[in-house]
Amino acid sequence: MGERPKTSGNSVRGARGFSRELVLVVCFLSLIALLGATAFVSRMYHKRVHTLADQWFEQGETDYNAGDAKKALIDYRNALVFSPSNKVFQFHLASALAANGQLPEARAYLLPLLSDSPGSGEINLALARIAAHQSKMQDAMLYYNSAIYGEWPDQPIEMRWNVRRELCEFLLSRGASSQAEPALVALADNTPDDDIDKQKAAGKLLLAGQLWNRALDEYRSVLAKNRNDADALEGAGTAAYNLGYYSQAVNFLGRLPRDRSADPKISTLLETSRLVEASDPFLEGLSIRDKARRTVDALNVAETRAHACMGAGSASSPAGAPHSELGDLLATAQQAGTDWSVTNLIREPDRINTAMDLVFRIENAAEGPCGEPTGEDRALWLIGRSVGNNHP
Amino acid sequence: MTETMIPPTDAGEPQESKPGTLSRIRAYWESWTGRILALREDQFFLVLAILIGVFSGLAVVCFRVAIEWTQLELLGPSLSPSITRVLIAPTIGGLVVGVLVLRVFPSSQGSGVNRTKAAVFIWDGYVPFETVIGKFITCAIAIGSGQSLGPEDPSLQMGAGIASKIGRSLNLSQEKIRLIAPVGAAAGLAAAFNAPISAVLFVIEEVIGVWSGGVLAAMVLAAVASVVTMRSFLGADALFRVPELRVVRAEDLLAYAVLGVVGGAASIAFLKWIAYARPRIERLPYWTKYLQPAAAGLLIGAIGIRLPQVMGAGYSIIDQALHGQFTWKLLLVLAALKILATGISFLSGTPGGMFAPALFIGAMLGGAVGTVEQNLFTGLSGTVGTFALVGMGTFFAGFLRIPITSVFMVIELSGNYTAILPVLISTMVAYFISRSFQEVPLFDMIARQDGMVLPSIEEQREQVAPVVEKAMQRDAAIVYGASESVASALSRAEGKPDLPILMQHRREWRLLDRAQLKRLVEEKSRSYTVADSDGKGPLPILFPDLTLEDALQVVADWPVLPVVNRADLSKLEGIITLADILRAFRNARAE
Repeated sequence: MGERPKTSGNSVRGARGFSRELVLVVCFLSLIALLGATAFVSRMYHKRVHTLADQWFEQGETDYNAGDAKKALIDYRNALVFSPSNKVFQFHLASALAANGQLPEARAYLLPLLSDSPGSGEINLALARIAAHQSKMQDAMLYYNSAIYGEWPDQPIEMRWNVRRELCEFLLSRGASSQAEPALVALADNTPDDDIDKQKAAGKLLLAGQLWNRALDEYRSVLAKNRNDADALEGAGTAAYNLGYYSQAVNFLGRLPRDRSADPKISTLLETSRLVEASDPFLEGLSIRDKARRTVDALNVAETRAHACMGAGSASSPAGAPHSELGDLLATAQQAGTDWSVTNLIREPDRINTAMDLVFRIENAAEGPCGEPTGEDRALWLIGRSVGNNHP
Repeated sequence: MTETMIPPTDAGEPQESKPGTLSRIRAYWESWTGRILALREDQFFLVLAILIGVFSGLAVVCFRVAIEWTQLELLGPSLSPSITRVLIAPTIGGLVVGVLVLRVFPSSQGSGVNRTKAAVFIWDGYVPFETVIGKFITCAIAIGSGQSLGPEDPSLQMGAGIASKIGRSLNLSQEKIRLIAPVGAAAGLAAAFNAPISAVLFVIEEVIGVWSGGVLAAMVLAAVASVVTMRSFLGADALFRVPELRVVRAEDLLAYAVLGVVGGAASIAFLKWIAYARPRIERLPYWTKYLQPAAAGLLIGAIGIRLPQVMGAGYSIIDQALHGQFTWKLLLVLAALKILATGISFLSGTPGGMFAPALFIGAMLGGAVGTVEQNLFTGLSGTVGTFALVGMGTFFAGFLRIPITSVFMVIELSGNYTAILPVLISTMVAYFISRSFQEVPLFDMIARQDGMVLPSIEEQREQVAPVVEKAMQRDAAIVYGASESVASALSRAEGKPDLPILMQHRREWRLLDRAQLKRLVEEKSRSYTVADSDGKGPLPILFPDLTLEDALQVVADWPVLPVVNRADLSKLEGIITLADILRAFRNARAE
C-alpha cells in the first residue's frame, strides 16, 4: 500500500507502452462516447416502450368501456410491463381487477397508490367499492368519506355528490339505517336545486331511508319546476302517505298519469288515501252531522271486521287472549250501539272521540290475529295511528 | 483572449509576456494529470473505482436494453406471446447462442461468479475483454429469446471484465489488478440488481471472502457510481414494486420458519438435480453442445405455450406474485416449472445467471406457502406479498448459500425493515437445511465440476483458526521475580531440570539460562538476585486467543515464548514453542 507509480514523473507506462495519461484520456473519451451511445439507445428504447405502453393502455380502455373487463385486464397488464410505475395504468388495472372480481389483487394495487396520494377521490372510491363488495362496513365508510372529501380532478361537485349517493345506497342496502340517516341528510343538503334528476334520485333514497319529510321537500321542489313530473308525484305521494298527509297523497297520486297510477302499489296507496279521506271524522271543515255519520260508519266497519276476525279465529284455533280482547271490545261496541247513533252523537259530539277510540282499539286488536287490515279497515287503522301520533 | 505585448526586441519581433492558449491548455493538462497521477496508488485505485462504476453502469444499461429489445422483437410485446413465437424464438435463439459461444466467444461460457473468482485467485485479475462482448451478445439473445436465466451474473462478469481491462491498461500493480476485478464485479451486479449494498456483500461473501478496508471502499464507490449511472438512464424504480408490509407478531414467525423449510427443501432439490445432471450432460459428444441451447429453448418454449411466465428473467411475474395475483396452486406450478426451465437452460450451457430465476422461484414458493398458511390460520398478519418477498430471500439463501446477502437483498429491495425478522428466520432455516443436505455450495460445485480448484468461501467462513490456547503448555515453566535471590531460585528449580526458567520484571519477560545462574552462585555471591543475570529477551508475548499463524510469525526466533493474560501481563498462562505450534496444526488437520 502507499506505493508510488513506478516510473519517474507523471508518465507511467502501460503494458503496451502507453502512458497512463494517454490511457486515462482514452478512457474518458470512451466514457463520453459510451454515454452518448447509451443515451441514444435508451432514448430510442424508452420511446418504443412508451408507445407500446400507450397502445396497450388505449386497447385496455376500449375493452373496458366495451364491458370486457377480462380482456382489459390483460391489456392493462401488458401496458404495465412497459411502464411499471405508471400510476394511471396501475389505477386502471386495479379497476379492471375489481370489475373482474379479483378484489384482493385490486386492493393490492390500490393501497400503494393511496399511500402516494392519500387525498385522491378516485382511489378512495375504488377502495370503498372493494370494501363494500367484501362487506367491510367500517373500511367502506372510511374510504367513501375520504372520497367525498378527497380531490377530484374533474367535476368535483358532481363526483362528490355521486359518491354520497353511492354511500347512501350502500348503507341502505346493508340495512344500516342509523348510519344512512346522516349520509342521506348530507346528500339532500348537497343536492343542487336546479338539477331535477339529482333531486329525484335523492328523493328516492330519502324514501328508502324513510326520511319522509326530507323526501317530500325534495319532491315538492321538483314539482315546483314541473308540476306534472310523474316520478316526483309518485315520490311525493308516497312520502305524504307515510307522513299521514292523505289529502296531499290523494292530490299527488291522483295527478299521476293512468299508466303510473295503474301500478298495484300506487293504486293501493291512492285507494287507501281516498278511503282515509272519506272515513276520517276528524277532518277539518266537516259538519257535526258528517262527523257523526262517519263515526257510525266506522263503528259498523270495525264491528264487521271484529266479527269476521273472531269467526275466522274460532274456526282455525281455540279462543285465545287476542280474541277475548277483541270479543270484549266488540261487546262494548254492541252495548253502546243505540247510544252511538247519528242523532245521539250529534247531540253529544264528545262521544265521537270515545266511539272512534273504540274503533281504533278494535282495528288494532284485530291486526294481531288477523293480519294487517285492508280497504276501509286499513283506512280506519291508519287514522287511528295518525291520531295516536298527533295525540299521544 | 488578451495578450500583453512587450516592446519589440532587437530583432524587431514582438514576444509574448504570458503563455498563449495552447500553452495554457498544456499547463492545465500537466497540472491535472500531475495531480491525478501523483496520487498514491491506493488513492488512485479509489478514483478508478468510480470510473469503473460508471463504465459498468453504462454497460449494464445497454445490456438490459438489449435484452428487452431482443425480447420485444422475438417474443412480441404481449405477456402472452403466440405459440409460434414461444416455440421458435427460444429455439432459434438457442441455436445462435450455441454457435456464438462455441465458435466466437468461448470465454463467455460458464458462471460469471466463478470466472471472476478464478480471475482473483488463479489468473492474477485477468478477465479477457472478449468476455464482456461475448457475455453481452450471447446473454442478450439467450435471455431475450426466453431462456429461463437472469442478467445479473453476466452483468457481474462484464463489470469484472471492464475493470480488469482498465486496470491492465493503466499498468496498476499486480496486487491492484487482482483486486480490481471484484470491484468491477460489484459495480456490474449493483447496476443489474439496482441494489448496491447487496452487490458489495455478495462479492465479499462469494467472490473474495475477506473484508479488506481498501477493497471495500473501492467496491462501495464503484457500486454506487454504477447504480447512479444506471438510474439516470433507466429510472430509480426497483426491479419490482414491493407491496404494503405488515408488522409481524411473534407467533407469525413460525409461519415463516415453515417457509424456510419449504425454501430449503426446494433449493436442495434444485442443487441435487444440477449436481447429478451437469456432469452427465458434460460427457455428451462435443457436437451436441451446439444443439443443447436450442433443445433447451424448445423445451422451455413448450412450457411457455401454457405458462409463458417461466420464460426470461421474470421480474414482471415476481411483481405480480408480490401483489397476490396468483392462486397458491398456480404459484406452486410456476415455482416447479421455473426450477425445471432454469435447470434446463443452465445445464444446456446457455450463458446467463441464476439470480433472477432464484428470486422468481422464491417469490412463487413464498406466495404459495403464505396463501396456504393464511387459509389454514386466518389470524396470520402477513400479506401474501410479504411471504413472497421473504420467499425470495429464503430460496436465495438456500440455493446460492449466501445468507447475509440474502437478508440484505430483501431489505434493500423492499426498502423496509418491517420484514427483517421473518427474513432472518426463514433464510437461516433454509440455509441450514441446504448445508445439512448438500455439502458443496452451488458455485464451488460448478467450479469443481469444471476442474478448477477455487477456494470455497463458505468453507473459509466456517473454518475456525486454531489458537495459541490449543497449543500452549500450562504449568511448564518456572517463573522468577526479578528480586528473587539466585540461590533461592536455583533451589526452587531443583528437581525440574527440563523446565525453562522465565523471569518476569515489570512488563518484561526474559528467558534465563540455568547454567548461568549456577555460575553466578558459584563464582560470586549467593546474595545476587535474578535480575543480575543476563537473560534472553525481552521475549515477545502471546495471548491465548491469538491464532497460531500469528504465533508462528514470532516464535521462530525464540526457543520458547510466554503466553500471558491480556488483563494482567505479568500473569503467565502457559508457554509455547515452535514444536507445540506444528503439533497443533497437525492435530487440527487430523480433526
